[in-house]
Amino acid sequence: MKKNRPVKTSKLDFIIRIAGEGGEGVISCGELFAKMAARTEFHVFTFITYPAEMRGGYSMIQIRLRDMTIYSMGSMVDCLVVFNQEAFDNSIEVLKPGGILLYDPATVDIGKLDSEFTLEPIPLTMMAKEATGGILGKNMVALGALSHIFGADMELLEGLVRERYGAKGEDAINKNSRALDAGYRAAANINIEAKFRLADLKASGENYMLLSGNQAVALGAIAAGCRFCAGYPITPSTSIFETLIRLLPLVGGRAIQMEDEIAAISAIIGASFAGEKVITPTSGPGLQLMTEQLSLASMIEVPVVIVDVQRAGPSTGLPTKTEQSDLKYAVYGAAGDSPRIILAPTGVEDAFYQTIRAFNLAERYQVPVLMLLDQSIGYRKATVKMPDFDKLSLVDKTEHRKSVSIPKSDLIPIINRMEPDEHELEDFFRYQDTEDGTSPMSRPGTAGGQYLATGLEHDERGLADQTPKNHLKMSKKRFRKLEYISKQFDKNPIEFYGAPEAVIGVIGWGSTEGAIREARYLAEEEGVMIRHLHPHTISPLPSRQISLFLLRLKYLLIVEENLTGQFAHYLKAKFNIRPIGIRKCEGMPITPEEILRVIIKVARIDDEDNSTSL
Amino acid sequence: MKITPQAYRKEAVKPIWCPGCGDYAVLSALQKSFSALSLKPEEIIMVSGIGCSGRFSHYFNTYALHGTHGRAIPTALGAKAARPDLTVLAVGGDGDGLSIGGGHISHAARKNPDITYLLLDNNIYGLTKGQTSPTTPTGYQSKTAPYGVSEDPMDPIPIFITYGISFIARAHSFDVKQMTALITAAIKHRGMSIVYIHSPCVNYQALSWDKLREQTKELPADFPVDDKMKALVPAYSKDPLYTGVFYKVMKPTLEDRLEIITETARKSRHGLSVGMSAKQVMEDFR
Ligand SMILES: Cc1ncc(C[n+]2csc(CCOP(=O)(O)OP(=O)(O)O)c2C)c(N)n1
Ligand code: SF4
Ligand SMILES: [Mg+2]
Repeated sequence: MKKNRPVKTSKLDFIIRIAGEGGEGVISCGELFAKMAARTEFHVFTFITYPAEMRGGYSMIQIRLRDMTIYSMGSMVDCLVVFNQEAFDNSIEVLKPGGILLYDPATVDIGKLDSEFTLEPIPLTMMAKEATGGILGKNMVALGALSHIFGADMELLEGLVRERYGAKGEDAINKNSRALDAGYRAAANINIEAKFRLADLKASGENYMLLSGNQAVALGAIAAGCRFCAGYPITPSTSIFETLIRLLPLVGGRAIQMEDEIAAISAIIGASFAGEKVITPTSGPGLQLMTEQLSLASMIEVPVVIVDVQRAGPSTGLPTKTEQSDLKYAVYGAAGDSPRIILAPTGVEDAFYQTIRAFNLAERYQVPVLMLLDQSIGYRKATVKMPDFDKLSLVDKTEHRKSVSIPKSDLIPIINRMEPDEHELEDFFRYQDTEDGTSPMSRPGTAGGQYLATGLEHDERGLADQTPKNHLKMSKKRFRKLEYISKQFDKNPIEFYGAPEAVIGVIGWGSTEGAIREARYLAEEEGVMIRHLHPHTISPLPSRQISLFLLRLKYLLIVEENLTGQFAHYLKAKFNIRPIGIRKCEGMPITPEEILRVIIKVARIDDEDNSTSL
Repeated sequence: MKITPQAYRKEAVKPIWCPGCGDYAVLSALQKSFSALSLKPEEIIMVSGIGCSGRFSHYFNTYALHGTHGRAIPTALGAKAARPDLTVLAVGGDGDGLSIGGGHISHAARKNPDITYLLLDNNIYGLTKGQTSPTTPTGYQSKTAPYGVSEDPMDPIPIFITYGISFIARAHSFDVKQMTALITAAIKHRGMSIVYIHSPCVNYQALSWDKLREQTKELPADFPVDDKMKALVPAYSKDPLYTGVFYKVMKPTLEDRLEIITETARKSRHGLSVGMSAKQVMEDFR
């Protein structure tokens, strides 16, 4: 194994996990802490697991703070706060040697734990009772203690608490403040030398948001010019819908809760036909209900954006857990050949920009765009740089490249629908067979632009026509859009991470990007070089990029979070490959270590191969 | 400027319907209503379902969307919510609207979008050639009930009244003049209107035409259209089978409701008088 050039390392990388029971406010506790950290120079990344029920069940939030970009939730934690026994039992194995354990001695029996940890018992329940008269407030006691240990600016924190609980009235605010204070004072006699003091850190430039992946999707939609949303609540996508329902009316848009997912997608198809940019958020079960209308959207070429925040399945499955197992359905789920574009964001910030891209593609090519977001991205929060709104630029319809590329914070192309010009309106062919498969689409109200959009096979004018020749011609027309987009990708320079000469390659999609990246760093530290490709577009695939990546590769590892290797199957159908699957199907994100283990194994086999052939 | 009824038709497209099909009368009545209201063809969106009646949208020179089976109402609702400035219609059959799409009507009623829904009831699945529909009479030997339909037929008008649809009328393909007047009134009505039309099929006569004709009677001119309880009595009556307006009430439309939401949202932001920009709403997340 070759020794490797030095890897960039950060000076500070700290992970806190707070665990308890659903309903005890562990998430609020963690999010408030994260919010304070997000106001500093730190990058922040949170990961949450909820139980599906309102109350009860294991619930935790893990917050990673780093002075550099963060790619994953990390694995071992530096500080663990547990509210009850189950939380302790579930989490103690991830506490690093020497790590800090804060626990409630009244509810947690730590047994005979090695003294390798810094143990700090804090009577959370008792103190919450004293401060608030009830047991609610444990989370604030814990937050108070953490704030003392990590030197938080209490004035800032009080303000954030007021913001969060303001709607519940003065009484709630006061109770929370008292509990916070009690925790703060209780921690005064704890003697831990913290790795950092939040209040002493430099403040960040003002323009960072702390967003969940779901919020990033909602804001991306608004930035893209989407002004209509119809939906039906389903975990874990609901917060996209809730955010849009709250914000769209403020920006001149409209959002409606429908009676089911079929009605939701029908409504957005109607609204898009009428001229709006539209979205519906859902999860796997809802996507299944939407499929007939998805085919209709393909057939009548009406732009729609559908976001599937993937839960673990099948059926109701694990509604609050993460899995990448809707891919096969997203790609193939349709009666008839029905083109769609599928995007897969890799993180919270990417979710924001890919949502804008989803609208650009939908509007430019008049195809349904399906965004597959992993639950682990949807629910976690990360710092996202506020886009520069002076850099939003309306793109001319002829600039195809810009419509397929992922917008960047300093240049955000916004694409609007291609409408027919006066000349085209004189004798309007709504479904004109063109070079890129896309035809002008008139906005209702436009005289001369009237047309029929029918789910029956139709000709270039839109009139029903079921003759053999016409069906072939129009099917090709609709699919040509994907071919065209794929060609646009081909013009991009090959883009992958890691060592170009490495013989081990890793391909992943969606949220596994960070874990693969960290696995690569770890492998490099051990002298193993790899290349890593992470397509952001699942359909159409960037075929040339993948072909170039596969050149002179001896081992291909495909990372995905499902049992059956759906992505590997999909790639096998298109490329001559024999991949090794790295799969996880536990409802939890894959970790860098899990990927590293396989990489190292493969590297050993390669070493042996090389020596025997000598 | 007067627009002739013919101007709304896409002349080049001949209806697929059998000669004598009741749907021809509806086609003619709707053209006349558009003309009577001087609507511009480009300011109409017509959404239709699947069935013989679902073909409606093919024959008009308006913006038209021929979607999937049973989804005309939510599709039309979305179009209207996005574009309150346009006239939006939904058209479909008894299978389309009362069976596969039956779940949508009650929810649309709660929102009351200003759309007009023409439900063409022929008591059968016409396009697919003679299967039982929700309104096929008990005992009729349909293709899917070779031993006679065993279920009870549905009674749509009382259901619509109970749902709270804000305009409900029954018409008949035998009387184009009355149908035109009812459709015109329905389009004019601010809110969700249903014109439930007996539009018999010549191939599958599930209901006897002669009986239909004999039993039909117009509601009295002084019938109180604003009383739900009173409306239920003629709505349930089979003989006579009443035509005309059963119920009509003014209540906020979906578009009104969305407008109120916008105002309330702005008020929650220190009484903004204009909308916010995308940039401004993002400030919330700092
Ligand atoms: C999802 C789906 N299921 C079934 C069908 C088949 N289908 C087409 S039309 C129809 C029934 C039409 O009956 P109705 O709505 O009463 O219209 P009519 O032809 O009588 O006017 C059926 C079952 C379909 N097109 N789509
Ligand atoms: S089958 Fe019946 S409903 Fe269909 S076109 Fe013929 S007559 Fe009309
Ligand atoms: Mg019928």
